[in-house]
Amino acid sequence: MKKNLSIVIGSGSILCAASLGLMKALKRENIQPDLLVGCSGGSLYAAALALGYDPNTIHEMTVDMYKNDIVEGYTSNLRAAMSGETRFNESSGLVDDKILMERLQSIFDEKTFADTTIPLYIVATDFYSGEEVVLSSGRIVDAARASSAIPMIFPPWTINGRLLVDGAVCNPLPVDVAIKEGGDVIIAIGFELPIRRRMNSYTAVTTHFNSLYMNNILKSTFAFYNAVHHAEIIPVLPKFEKQIGGFDHHQLPYIIDQGEKAAEEQLPYLKKLLEN
Amino acid sequence: MAKKPRVALIVGSGSVKCAAALGLWKALDRAGIPIDMLVGCSGGSLYTSTMALGFSLDECISYTKALWNEKVTAEKNWKALLGMVFPKLFKFDHHFGMISDRQMMKNLRQVFGNKTFQDAKIPLTIMTTDFYTGEQVPLTSGSIVDAIRASIAIPFIWGAHQVGDRFLIDGAASDPMPVDIAIKEGAEVILAMGFQAPLPSKVRSVSRYAFHVNGIMTNNLYQSNFAFHNAVHHAEIIPIFPQFDRSIRLFDTDQIPYVIEQGEKAAEEQMPYIQKLLNS
Repeated sequence: MKKNLSIVIGSGSILCAASLGLMKALKRENIQPDLLVGCSGGSLYAAALALGYDPNTIHEMTVDMYKNDIVEGYTSNLRAAMSGETRFNESSGLVDDKILMERLQSIFDEKTFADTTIPLYIVATDFYSGEEVVLSSGRIVDAARASSAIPMIFPPWTINGRLLVDGAVCNPLPVDVAIKEGGDVIIAIGFELPIRRRMNSYTAVTTHFNSLYMNNILKSTFAFYNAVHHAEIIPVLPKFEKQIGGFDHHQLPYIIDQGEKAAEEQLPYLKKLLEN
Repeated sequence: MAKKPRVALIVGSGSVKCAAALGLWKALDRAGIPIDMLVGCSGGSLYTSTMALGFSLDECISYTKALWNEKVTAEKNWKALLGMVFPKLFKFDHHFGMISDRQMMKNLRQVFGNKTFQDAKIPLTIMTTDFYTGEQVPLTSGSIVDAIRASIAIPFIWGAHQVGDRFLIDGAASDPMPVDIAIKEGAEVILAMGFQAPLPSKVRSVSRYAFHVNGIMTNNLYQSNFAFHNAVHHAEIIPIFPQFDRSIRLFDTDQIPYVIEQGEKAAEEQMPYIQKLLNS
């Protein structure tokens, strides 16, 4: 019987573009995934792949998505929120999500999970309880928006009456979804968030604490899934020697190359598993 | 006769709720069960330190009230608060915290003076986190005051604390209930007391928001770490999770008697099992 090959693309904003490199490597070997799971930035790539977009389209989508204007205005919004000029509550964010929504809309339009050719799961976090929320129906735009609602930066997003934030808050590399859905072989492409030594604002400090936590949760959940799961989990962890910011779109070719390289290293093992 | 099993007590992060460790201690004391190793994280570092140094239970209760009261958060760090509004004028680094640590340091020195880990009668480890890398940094030497101050440096509230050449923060950011230390040290019976961070249902400011997100991430890290340690470790880990029927927040020191009682209750529930393990 053919084995179910699942691909899990973890959180990592623009670093998630490394999954394009992974897809390149798999395509060359004629290996097709049977199931896709995405978290945060990874949800965009998982969704695009599940919908059958071709790699060039996805590449363009990335270039278009990660322009600096996507986080425009946070400094002045932060000042206004701090001084009490504007209110800040659970549904607030320091960045207007208009541009993000426009871009997601232009990529996914009105497509739903029912339109995917490969089963797709997107992971978000319940804002109040911190629990994992796995999305597998409804509009892709909504799921991707919720999953990539970076805390404080983008406002959380409501789906079916639940306020949702970034999937990375509970499970940056949600291997568990692939395990539950019956993945026999699971490729997990994950990223530790870049840590900066220099911080110049409250938001930078907040982002720093979030990154520390998300990296630790990533390591801890991944260690757990590896320990308890007896099917094969193949980690693909691209290495980046240079510091890459969340919106360094000029680094894209490098990011994709590193993804491809990391995938190449695991290919012989993957092929062996799929052949048995 | 078989070698007596070594018992480790872990008290995880949980601010004032960590006082439940005193209830657990009462129960252990009554049953005549000695502790061979103590590991504390964040609020838990206070109680494991007092136990390790051999303070009496009554001393510990009175110290809790002296250490942990509204006074320690009364003095705002104005530089940090202004910096949040005018980021260009101020530096943002490991020092960032909204509350000045002056009162906290004063209180800690009053209780622990110049005591070091060497003064501990029971081996003690205090868990902290490297501010820059997020790595676990377990402390086992040097000044107790410095170690506790670092371990309780709750993100956003208190700045990082320098120990040696590292800047350290709240152990909860890497290891909220550090069972792994006891595993590495080879304890045969591990009593793990842990707490989930309380979550507000209303968020009314940027700083409350940041604090809330931190709380849910601490809880998720706590759960996944514990799940992992349970999955891979084959000695006995006995969870002691006190149940609180009310919400206990950062400085609810008036709830301490209740907190201690709940800790004792949770310990009593596990006592037959603990006894069985130790006597088998």
